[in-house]
Amino acid sequence: MTRQNDNSDTGGREAVRFDGVTKRFPPNVTALDSVSLSARFGEVVVLLGLSGSGKSTLLRHVDGLQLPTEGSVHVLGVDVAAARPKALRRLRGRIGFVFQQFHLVPTLTVLENVCTGALARLRGPRLGLPTYPRRIREAALDQLDRVGLADRAFQRADTLSGGQQQRVAIARAMLQEPEILLADEPVASLDPESSHQVMELIKRVATEDDLTVLCSLHQVDLALAWGDRIVGLHTGRVVMDTPVADIDHADAMSIYARVGAENVADAAAE
Amino acid sequence: MDTPTKTPGTAAPHRRTLAVPRVNTMAATAVGLALLGFGVWSLIALRINVATLIDSFDNAVEFLGRVVPLDFPPPGELLALIGQTLAIVIAATLLSMVLSIPLAFWAAGNTTRNRVTRLGSRAVIVSMRAIPDLVLAIIFVRVFGLGVIPGVLAMGLHSIGMIGKLYADAIEQIDEGPRTAIRATGARRLQQLVSGVLPQVMPSFVATAMHRLDINLRISVLLGYVGVAGIGKEIKNALETLNYPRGIALALVVLALCIVMELISGAIRRAILGPQADTRRGGILGLMGRARRGVAAGTAAAARRVSVPMSGRRFARLAWTFVGVMIVLVSVGFVGRDLFDMTGSGIANTLDRLWPPDTGGVPSAELIDAMFVTVQVAFAATLIGAVLALPVGVLAARNVAPRLWLGKVFRMFIVCVRGVPELILAIVFVVMIGLGEVAGTLALSIGAIGLFGKLVADSVEEVDPGVEQALRATGASRSQVFFAATLPQALPAVIGHLLYQLDVNIRSATLLGIVGAGGIGYYLLQASRVREFGTVTLITLMLFGVVMLVELIAMWLRRTAGARS
Repeated sequence: MTRQNDNSDTGGREAVRFDGVTKRFPPNVTALDSVSLSARFGEVVVLLGLSGSGKSTLLRHVDGLQLPTEGSVHVLGVDVAAARPKALRRLRGRIGFVFQQFHLVPTLTVLENVCTGALARLRGPRLGLPTYPRRIREAALDQLDRVGLADRAFQRADTLSGGQQQRVAIARAMLQEPEILLADEPVASLDPESSHQVMELIKRVATEDDLTVLCSLHQVDLALAWGDRIVGLHTGRVVMDTPVADIDHADAMSIYARVGAENVADAAAE
Repeated sequence: MDTPTKTPGTAAPHRRTLAVPRVNTMAATAVGLALLGFGVWSLIALRINVATLIDSFDNAVEFLGRVVPLDFPPPGELLALIGQTLAIVIAATLLSMVLSIPLAFWAAGNTTRNRVTRLGSRAVIVSMRAIPDLVLAIIFVRVFGLGVIPGVLAMGLHSIGMIGKLYADAIEQIDEGPRTAIRATGARRLQQLVSGVLPQVMPSFVATAMHRLDINLRISVLLGYVGVAGIGKEIKNALETLNYPRGIALALVVLALCIVMELISGAIRRAILGPQADTRRGGILGLMGRARRGVAAGTAAAARRVSVPMSGRRFARLAWTFVGVMIVLVSVGFVGRDLFDMTGSGIANTLDRLWPPDTGGVPSAELIDAMFVTVQVAFAATLIGAVLALPVGVLAARNVAPRLWLGKVFRMFIVCVRGVPELILAIVFVVMIGLGEVAGTLALSIGAIGLFGKLVADSVEEVDPGVEQALRATGASRSQVFFAATLPQALPAVIGHLLYQLDVNIRSATLLGIVGAGGIGYYLLQASRVREFGTVTLITLMLFGVVMLVELIAMWLRRTAGARS
């Protein structure tokens, strides 16, 4: 399943690049504040930060689910904000997204849920397994095999446990044959055992398919063990952007400690 | 997780990629198709097609010639009529509210432990719903004579079926915390109910009553056909003497009344439920709001105030409440005046004549035929209504409408259609294309846009937006997201709503027969005219049987289709 990314046209440069991205939500929330960062092809970037620090918003900007108020986002050589709807959909097809809440269609079968990962390649709307071409269904079954859930193919998605649902969601993303994988706190709503399984699975498919990964996490140890680079966010600003080799646990924890530190600083200033 | 990784292409060539069809799924599909088939066949049997509709449009021109210029009654007379109608409707709704409150407390599981009381109360509520208000009106007109009281009693009692049930549901949904806390202070049971439960349910009690007020206003027109005083009776008199300019003018007055009433009751419901709904929805914000109010209360206490300070808003609210109470009192007084010269002699006599059921000389085959026509009208109307309402409802949903303003336009359209009583539509269609089933079917079809269209829009908006977003993230197009994520999530609810619309249509189709829109309703009206009460009972039972049958099929279909694949 290992696939070499054809990086020749982009000269092996960045897969993702943010230039001074600011995102404001009316009336006065600033979710991202002049964020600049980049991810090289094949790199695993782990985003750390408190809830509400802008991790999800940042990930959503990568595949244009949200567009920047200021600044620009380039992904796989495409200017996301300037892309026309069709080009944007094609770009999204090349990016897998795994959500914290899985987001499967509860009333559809597991297999059909995986098949929806191929929609960007298919023309027209689909409802019901028979409406998907056989080759897609087989590819979907292969992906289910890969996450170890082929025996659940014809069950309704809402009959699965949380961990299993997340594995189905990963299979859906893998059916896209993506070049980039975005994961937004993929294990935050799972128990420790399922968390471990899901995290191992994400690491395995990312390595096997040589994916560029942007993943937000809360587990600092995991981030240090898996990531190539740690990006720390706080109130929408990048407060740390360091190769894993250069930091230790205490450094990484400082991202979380920042709130306390700032409060102390504020108090001292007054 | 231990399954070895497979590469595509090495999979067994005959792997199953489709689910094995299940018996339940197939049975549900078969029943669904059968219902659809019956609907199509009804359309054909009732001769509703493009040609009929074009004919109707020709008639529409002629219709205008017949009703223009409209003939409104003199202003004084008109105001008196409106006042009378409103008084009946308000008094009836109040009666129903007063009777429903104890029934609801007895029916709710968290306020009544005794099973017998609970089931008994539920049974009363359900049976009130089962007896059509029209039938109650026929009985009460016979007992108390023509006038105001039969209308108040008929609507007051029948409304218990809806109000009582919604009240009981509201009581069961309360937060038990406050009541437990009040019990912990040593309060008695009634104190617990009044201080811990009533404040929580009061807003929804009033909102439900306001909703029922809208419904009763529409029904009051129908009751006019069997002798209840008010605008409905005048419409009937005008149409019977072929005085179309007067009849349609009065119908327009009803339409205006309905719209004004809907606006007022909507405003009141928003005023009552709005802030509370925001608190619930606001999550953290709501919590902060509550905390702030708590602090404010604390400050007031510090200033040793023992009454709520009078602010402009509070004054306005009190003034409006006063106006509302005065309107209700005047209505009750108006109705009460009639109560004194009531004889009410014939109760025993009438009840006696209700049993046994009896065809009253009408061949039973004729009755069964008429009942069948009513069912056909309901099915045909549901089918046309669904075809019209589905796209409208889907496009009115915020998450599907291609443009925000387009969704709002469709929403407005639905609200407007909802404001038009089906009965008024039926009356207009009867005058336009003549007596018969086509008029009834068209009226119900249009009415479906208001009800089914709204329910579709709501259930489409209620789907989990995360799933839609996940598919958008895979690069799926707008229509692909709709079919793969939105529709499958909304479908069970939409099917449920369609079956509900069918149920509503069967009841409405019967009632529309009263104004000459075909089917069994005509025989009901005849029976009440010649005082064949046995026939009234028989028709009521037939209707009850049909509705039960449809409801059973619907229930089975809902369960089976809900558990599908």
